[in-house]
Amino acid sequence: MKRMLKAVALALLVLFATSAAFAAPSAKTAPVTLLLLGNKPTNGRIEAALAEINKLLGPRIGAELKVQYIEWADWQNQYQLALASGDSNIDLVITATDWLFAREIARKGGFYPLTPDLIKANAPKTWAEVSPAHWDLCTENGKIWFIPEDQYSQYTNHGVYWRLDWGKQGGVSTVKNFADLEKYFDAVKKNHPEAFPWDVSGKESSFGQILYGYLQSSIPAQTILGCSTGNHGIFWYNTKDPYTVVSPFMDGKELLDAVQTFDRWAKKGFWREDVLNYQGQTREEMYDGLSGADQHHTQTYVTQTRPQMDKRQPGSELQFYYFGMENKNVNKDLMTHGAMAVNAASKNVPLALKVYELLRNDKQIYMLFNYGIEGVDYVMKSGNVLDRPAGWDVTKQSLDSNFWGGRMDAFEPLNAQHWADKNKLYAELNAFAKEYPLEKFAFNNTKVAAEMAAIGDVCSTYMPAFAYGKTGDPVKAVNDFRAALKKAGYDKVKAEIQAQLTAFKTATKK
Amino acid sequence: MKPLPGTNRGFFKELSHSRTLILMCLPAILFFIVFCYIPMPGAYIAFTDFKYNQGIFGSRFVGFENFRFLIISGKLWQLTRNTILYNVAFIVLGNILQIFVAILLNEVRLKWFKKIAQSVMFLPYFISAVLVGFLSFSILNYDYGFIPNLFKALGAEAPKFYSNPRVWPLIIVLVNLWQTTGYGSIVYFAAIMGIDPTIYEAAEIDGAHAIQRIWYIILPSLKNTVAVLILFSIGGILKGNFGLFYNVVGNGNPILQPTTDIIETFVYRALMNQFNFSSSAAAGLYQSVVGFAIVMTANWIVKRIEPEYALF
Amino acid sequence: MAVKKDKVSLGVTIFAFALMTAASVVCLLPFVMMVSASFSTENIIMTKGIGVFPRGFSLRAYEIIMSMPKYMIGAYVVTVALTVSGTLIGLFLIAMTGYSLARPDFRIRNKIAFFFYFTTLFSAGLAPSYIWMVRYLGLKNNYLAVLLPLLMTPWLIILMRNFMKSIPHEITESGKMDGAGDFRIFISLIFPMVKPGLATVGLFLALSYWNDWYNAMLYLPNLDYKPLQYHLYRIVNEAAALKNSLAGANVVLTASLPSTTLKMATAVLATGPIILLYPFIQRFFITGIVVGSVKG
Repeated sequence: MKRMLKAVALALLVLFATSAAFAAPSAKTAPVTLLLLGNKPTNGRIEAALAEINKLLGPRIGAELKVQYIEWADWQNQYQLALASGDSNIDLVITATDWLFAREIARKGGFYPLTPDLIKANAPKTWAEVSPAHWDLCTENGKIWFIPEDQYSQYTNHGVYWRLDWGKQGGVSTVKNFADLEKYFDAVKKNHPEAFPWDVSGKESSFGQILYGYLQSSIPAQTILGCSTGNHGIFWYNTKDPYTVVSPFMDGKELLDAVQTFDRWAKKGFWREDVLNYQGQTREEMYDGLSGADQHHTQTYVTQTRPQMDKRQPGSELQFYYFGMENKNVNKDLMTHGAMAVNAASKNVPLALKVYELLRNDKQIYMLFNYGIEGVDYVMKSGNVLDRPAGWDVTKQSLDSNFWGGRMDAFEPLNAQHWADKNKLYAELNAFAKEYPLEKFAFNNTKVAAEMAAIGDVCSTYMPAFAYGKTGDPVKAVNDFRAALKKAGYDKVKAEIQAQLTAFKTATKK
Repeated sequence: MKPLPGTNRGFFKELSHSRTLILMCLPAILFFIVFCYIPMPGAYIAFTDFKYNQGIFGSRFVGFENFRFLIISGKLWQLTRNTILYNVAFIVLGNILQIFVAILLNEVRLKWFKKIAQSVMFLPYFISAVLVGFLSFSILNYDYGFIPNLFKALGAEAPKFYSNPRVWPLIIVLVNLWQTTGYGSIVYFAAIMGIDPTIYEAAEIDGAHAIQRIWYIILPSLKNTVAVLILFSIGGILKGNFGLFYNVVGNGNPILQPTTDIIETFVYRALMNQFNFSSSAAAGLYQSVVGFAIVMTANWIVKRIEPEYALF
Repeated sequence: MAVKKDKVSLGVTIFAFALMTAASVVCLLPFVMMVSASFSTENIIMTKGIGVFPRGFSLRAYEIIMSMPKYMIGAYVVTVALTVSGTLIGLFLIAMTGYSLARPDFRIRNKIAFFFYFTTLFSAGLAPSYIWMVRYLGLKNNYLAVLLPLLMTPWLIILMRNFMKSIPHEITESGKMDGAGDFRIFISLIFPMVKPGLATVGLFLALSYWNDWYNAMLYLPNLDYKPLQYHLYRIVNEAAALKNSLAGANVVLTASLPSTTLKMATAVLATGPIILLYPFIQRFFITGIVVGSVKG
């Protein structure tokens, strides 16, 4: 009888031991885990790069870098859950104040509060190169909550990619607004029955970027960051007077225009009937000529979609219509569009900062982590131009370290794989793009948390339907939506934001 | 030494006497403590402003603030209505259909046919909710789904199931019946098989035909089973059908929510999509309390009428 | 029964035949369609929709999966390991508990039974359980997060107790006469006698391990090798998962990937073992359902 018990006890023990063994750190070096966003590459390239990096990190600071991926499929959920659950296996966290809600998470206690001394002691170069003004952007309640990726220039304003060749077939040679875009889609619908004008997966863009784009292109206003309700930011500021809260979602006729437009587009069959349940590789479909458009930002256009389309659909001359093109309403990237934070539950805070210092400021490690092993993953050509070895295929050999929390212009080579004319586009944007004026504004939601959660819930019910023309009667839908917002406490939240914004204005003006 | 059942003993004597039996139950007791009882006080999170780094009991107490969210978002009524109506439909229609199938199965006298039919109808119970969701998508989706393509092949306009919230109560109830009828009819079938054959013979001699036999002999004999099974399924209301709703409706399609959102899917979404631990817990607690009240009431009523059928 | 049938009874029989045949077809049809679709040609499916019989004939979906079987095999290994270990451990613990609760001389048996049963009446809810599992037990991305919570349910314990009750108490008494302790009696006398009960409860356990996707979805999002049903969930619901699961395969990973038939083939592979074993094991489930429904 005891044998049976022993056997069971043994089985349990073995199970615990094996699972513990997987997590057990090796004796000599302490692991530092970096939480990244992206699809975990399965080609072994990131592992190869990490092995090289760890050969350097081990002797120098006694650390072993590991990475953990939050996959795109459900990043909005898993990212916050990883922090919320207090998982002590995670040390460094890629974050951002706009799209990854860094300020909200800091306030919820997801990040470790850093101090100048702590950073100076463990990441002195980083401390020195970030200006006091930029540190100030990352500070709240006297603590530094994240480290900005402020030495790297990029544009991540969103828009729609479209094919010039298909446009010309229908007499559309420029797209400068949503009306042009509709003409383009009409042309694709007519001439290319094999493709959807825009095959879009409603789940992956369920927060309806296109709807926000329409509003941004229609009125001089932009989202106020840091007072989002769920995944939606319905409270905007007037670009002429950033201290006034406005909301196209509650006031004005633009929302109805947008909903009617997308309702019409849906009826014309610009996207799939089952768009909200569709799960497909929509970008790949565009590369294969099965979709006439894709929706993402400038950086993706110059580094991925344009070069890929030139290769896969020669002559397509993929174009980029960015939202706000017609009314010159585009913001530059925030200093904190990319940032690095330390997980509140981390047990290795100083070591994590030391690792970050090297990832950011040691050129050898920087190149290994961002581009891999020279000669295998990339080759350098004269004039500091990075290229890929012959036969290298981005869909198969890509490293995908997705280090968006500390890239440096100083280390970045020119990239032969990027769109050759990218600087033209940057120059065009630089000519009019504005700085986001409220980067330091930190909204405190304690008084209206329940209302904001309720508004978030209303938004997540209506917005995807708005964006993909699934509302039924647009007029009724917009009225219902606004009534539901009111009921959820819209006015109270707006008043609270306005009050804090006014106080912020007074404090800034001092 | 050998005790007789029912002998009076002190509590500690009892403990020491049955220590081996208690030890044998101990793993199970520990299991339920660790996975069910310890998290229970954690429901306190529903009354806090949960901060990741302060834990459940370190976070600020906010009273019923999180429940206020449920009310002002207009969700409470919709969720409660959907949850209760779906459960009632599952239980009532489910049991009627199960009895119907069991009786018909009994009327088929071919043994091999009976066996095969029973096996085939039982099969859907064996597959995961994930597969149920995928199969229903394969049948219903507009692009390549089986039903819309039947319409298209006939030249008719294909139904757009995933854009029409009104058809979903029907779809969900049908899918549920598809998956559980075979399973549920087994008990009724066993009960019918247990009827004394001499009663049939007597009826046959009296010249009763099949419908009379069903009406006067079989149905009355199923009363007990119905009572027990329905009470059982009421006890299971709490367990819910998250897998069915989550997989069949699809997580990314909010336009179906007015008719398909139940408390459990809301709890999941609030936690996983809006990372709002506190309001998720508030809705979860609401469900627990309502479910508990329903079971207690049902049990109390049954106890008054027929104490033997009561659950406890 | 041999009496000549009257018209009404004959009608009822015919009606029963027809309806049961129809019901069986409805229950079977989705499975047939799934298998057919997995052997179909992607293009024909996309234009004509899936049908009862394969549309075109193509083994491409299976070829692609077989060319890069790493994740599929990994999922199988994980699932089989979880199912076997979970079922064995769970079964032993449930049997031990069930026997104790069936002993008429164990006076606190009903109190303990209610202690188990109460967990079906009231539960902590998802959020507190999630925090408990991840933050305090540290089970995120640990296969134990699937193995442990499924070890037992109150219903299975009560089902086992009902089986145990069918063994006469005299067996236990006679064991005591011989001077055996309770545990020895359980192991050497009771265990061999309750084989049908063990088979039934074991199969219910095995089924719940095999079909689990929920615990895996909550607790194992970052592991390379996911349990089979969660693997299927991701293939079906997440566009990127399909591509990732085939990375390194010697196929061109573009949108021309036959994604619908690939999903179907994955579904067939994830469900196949259950359906193949089904004819041999279903009678145990039927016994279990009947025994378990006896009020305890």
